[in-house]
Amino acid sequence: MNQPIHIENLDFAYGPVPVLENASLTLGEREFVSIVGPNGGGKTTLLKIILGLLEAQSGAVSVFGEHPLVGRKWIGYLPQYADLDSKFPVSALDVVLMGRLGKTRRLGFYTRSDHDAAREILARVGLEKLEKRPLASLSGGQRQRVLIARALVSEPKLLLLDEPTSSLDDYVERELYDLLRELNKELTIVVVSHDIAYVSRFVEKVICVNRAVHTHPVSEIDENIIHEMYGEHVHAVRHDQEHGHG
Amino acid sequence: MGEFFQALLQHGFLRHALLAGLLVSVSSGIVGTYVVTRRITYLAGGIAHCVLGGMGFARYMQVVHGWTYLTPMVGALLAALLAAFIIGWVNMKAKERVDTVISAFWGMGMAIGILFIAKTPGYGEDLMAYLFGNILLVTRGDLLAIAGLDLFIAATALLFHKQFVAVCFDEEFARLRGVNTQLFYFLMLALTALTVVLMVSIVGIVMVIVMLTLPAAIAGRFCLRMGTMMALAAGICALLTFGGLAISYGPDLPAGATIIVLAGVSYLISLLFNKR
Repeated sequence: MNQPIHIENLDFAYGPVPVLENASLTLGEREFVSIVGPNGGGKTTLLKIILGLLEAQSGAVSVFGEHPLVGRKWIGYLPQYADLDSKFPVSALDVVLMGRLGKTRRLGFYTRSDHDAAREILARVGLEKLEKRPLASLSGGQRQRVLIARALVSEPKLLLLDEPTSSLDDYVERELYDLLRELNKELTIVVVSHDIAYVSRFVEKVICVNRAVHTHPVSEIDENIIHEMYGEHVHAVRHDQEHGHG
Repeated sequence: MGEFFQALLQHGFLRHALLAGLLVSVSSGIVGTYVVTRRITYLAGGIAHCVLGGMGFARYMQVVHGWTYLTPMVGALLAALLAAFIIGWVNMKAKERVDTVISAFWGMGMAIGILFIAKTPGYGEDLMAYLFGNILLVTRGDLLAIAGLDLFIAATALLFHKQFVAVCFDEEFARLRGVNTQLFYFLMLALTALTVVLMVSIVGIVMVIVMLTLPAAIAGRFCLRMGTMMALAAGICALLTFGGLAISYGPDLPAGATIIVLAGVSYLISLLFNKR
């Protein structure tokens, strides 16, 4: 029972407003899935419950077999970039080092081994030459790589990305997914996205969240399911298109 | 200017004033950087104005009830820490209308101070000193107190630098990595409260917030990392204090107000330079 994520019959409401109802979901090791759904459908709430930032009113949630507050140390998390201050005075390396909190010593500065780990991960995401650059001077795609490096440097078993491509152009977005596919050889990856059409080219399973939670293999999704869940305005899944690298 | 240096050699009070300004600059650089990057300027302003309540209360108890140990400085310290705790708690719990709550404390703190001072016989002139500061009245004891608090603030900032940076940049992520973000948030506010109290004696309650935020804001335009921003902010604060004192000495201007005008002008000039 040590699946990365296991959720059973979960209910969550903000006061009288139900957000998630009777949600169940299981994620196996090294799966690459996407959480999709309309804004306000409960994606972010589900994410926060998995991260232990919110507590459900009823139902069971486990992360690697533990309570989210314990299990979340194995999660590498990438928040929406829009939530961060882009002018904040930090270098790329400074940001990545933050991922070592919880692993490094409590008092004093980061250690040499923290720096080594951070540099290694920066190289892995292709930014070894930019470690001293201020975050503000990096491009959108580079910033996302820095934040992914920050998530990876804690050596997680599950990578959770909230709308990682919302501010990126198509080409950079494709590069990012290539990187994720590479990382997927070792870790479970969950990508939250509002663009079901795009992500279904890369992932194996799609978890549709709109108060209810349904898991579909990508091959199973058709227009009927989407329209039933999201209404007419959502694009069809492009799972019929080629899966090749960009 | 030459006159100022000569006076510096002659008068102990002027040396004390300068030393006080330089010492406070250390705390100002560190805490100002937190306040500016974490965007809690308004919160810091609220804490600063609550200080008057504590100072007025302390003076009243001293004069009317003979509690000699409760000096205005001690009163300021207690009020600042209490205000930091209450405002911080409200800020954390209530997600909305935090600015309104801060305004309420801001005004109440001032009003309570004024009420106590009004009822303290013969000490009306205290009010001016509290509001606008009087750097030239800094005593040897004050200097020791300032140095002690300075040391505490700098040590705390050094020991927990990585946690403070993470909490300022991305509190949620820091929490997920096991940092007790509430504790560090309150610690940051407590350090802000202490720094505010240190600065009150120099520039006064009304102008504390300028002296706390502008050096860091100027430094932030040129610095790429938190550590260097703190160091540069401290340097700028020291320079502004020194410059303000020197300029004010000849024409006998109020030192605090001169320092503040100098800080404001420097900030406006820094805006003319392209950021980084």
